[in-house]
Amino acid sequence: MDDDKKLTGKTNIIFCIISILLLCLLLFPLFWIIVTSLKTEQEIFQIPPTLIPDTLNLKSYAAQVKSGDFNMFSSFANSLVISFGAMAVAVVLSVPASYGIAKYRFQGRKLMLLGFMVTQMLPVSVLLTPMFIMFKNMHVYNTPLAAILADATIGIPFSVLILKNYFASIPRELEEAAYIDGCNRFTAFVRVLIPIAKPGVMVCAIFSFLYAWGDLAYGMTFIIDQQKRPITAGIFNFMGQYGTKWSYLTAFAVVTIIPVALIFIFMQKYIISGMTSGAVKG
Amino acid sequence: MKSVKKFFQYDNIGLLFVLPAFLYMLVFVGYPIIDNIILSFQNVTVKNLVSGSRDFVGLKNYFDIFKDQVFIKALWNTLFFTVSCLVIQFIIGFGLALFFCKNFKFAKAVRGLLMMPWMIPITVTALIFKFIFGTDVGILNYILQSFGLIQQNIEWLTTANTAMFAIICANIWIGIPFNMILISTGLTTIPKELYESASIDGSGKLNTFIKITLPLLKPTIESVLILGFIYTFKVFDLVYVMTSGGPVNSTHMLSTYSYKLSFEMFKYSKGSAVANVLLVILLVISILYLRTTTKEEDA
Repeated sequence: MDDDKKLTGKTNIIFCIISILLLCLLLFPLFWIIVTSLKTEQEIFQIPPTLIPDTLNLKSYAAQVKSGDFNMFSSFANSLVISFGAMAVAVVLSVPASYGIAKYRFQGRKLMLLGFMVTQMLPVSVLLTPMFIMFKNMHVYNTPLAAILADATIGIPFSVLILKNYFASIPRELEEAAYIDGCNRFTAFVRVLIPIAKPGVMVCAIFSFLYAWGDLAYGMTFIIDQQKRPITAGIFNFMGQYGTKWSYLTAFAVVTIIPVALIFIFMQKYIISGMTSGAVKG
Repeated sequence: MKSVKKFFQYDNIGLLFVLPAFLYMLVFVGYPIIDNIILSFQNVTVKNLVSGSRDFVGLKNYFDIFKDQVFIKALWNTLFFTVSCLVIQFIIGFGLALFFCKNFKFAKAVRGLLMMPWMIPITVTALIFKFIFGTDVGILNYILQSFGLIQQNIEWLTTANTAMFAIICANIWIGIPFNMILISTGLTTIPKELYESASIDGSGKLNTFIKITLPLLKPTIESVLILGFIYTFKVFDLVYVMTSGGPVNSTHMLSTYSYKLSFEMFKYSKGSAVANVLLVILLVISILYLRTTTKEEDA
């Protein structure tokens, strides 16, 4: 129903104005914490509230670098390690898996596909206690590895289901041409098919990263030391202890959003494609 | 040896590619699901959680939770929360999708920016809304007061009903982009010729919407609502950060109550039983979803 005819003149302007108003309304919460993070604690409680800080206050950010038990930047680093780890595990496992599912009709294929689909719908509550026990027995409890292993289970099924469509759309002839050029199945997969499916691999990498970055349940359940915890768990702890210290809290939140915003700005096309073809959030 | 060779004929080689991911999921998801079911039939405490023998107690945990008022409340909350969010975010998302399918200059760019709320970590969203709904610090109370709608600041998050309202608002904010983008994509699949012939036949806008847009959008609407149900029903982070189920257990969802039982009260088996109830409801819905989508999928 995309109207092909471009709106012109007055209608165009009216629609543009309405869309800007909608944007301001819907993204106000984001604007509001960014502004708040730049205010002094005093100004935050001031009535009437100020839309733009009277005095620019960067102390909330600076204080976080120094202060001991809730060091924003070290939990930021923890989150990076966990998210890149989970992303690596998810991509390394799901790229070949999706190729196998897309290109081969082996026994049990449907069952496996169904398995990947169902795991996407699982609530985290079902997995927490058994994983907790498992990680204790594996001696990875309270290490970043526990969160990495758990977070990858969100990225893998998503990636397999998205990527299988990319691989399925690659014509068989391309693969056969690679065999004629002396590739075997494995080298053809690595040298020919993966490069063609690269946009799909990007979508999977981005989403696996974002899932892990946004995770709270696994991070706070499987890692108990505050210094090792991811940033989401850091925020949650911080809220528990300094619940009304909004200048620090909002600064913490803004820092958490930064990687997401960067991904959003530079890789938007992958995100829209990931959302519409997979339409899933963990 | 021959049979091994035969097994790895063309198609079965595919199995080698899939196996690592499949085994990974089997170990880290498949096994925990089974273990969680077993846990719910046992009496597991801090002492025998990791090692030691666990007593088999049959269905006792399930009988117990269904007698537990908080559980019943959480079950009802989860349903109420899910349905409220679904209806409202669907209507708003649909409206926005219709608006942005018009071809005006900013359409694509603004629609893209509106995806932001869906992407940011839910913990952050929870913090933002906690701040907006704050009693003294919150801008919502300020706005309502300056319009003269309320005389005194409302304690949104420490009163049962208003806390639920705040959580629903936050979740709708996350859900709108999801609904909008999927319905937008659905709208682009409707052939333009249909609209042209409808307008030639003298069909009004509303009539065209009801007779053409809605029926052709049915598959999209189905999957948006069912997927929406699944992701809303298992909500955890948002509620846990905003209220942790409080005040006085009034905003517990099945997921947060399960977490509380297991990791705050250390009644692991009861927590597992609650999680399994959540799982069963989700599985029923998932089967419904797979039935509607497998027609399109090549599965």
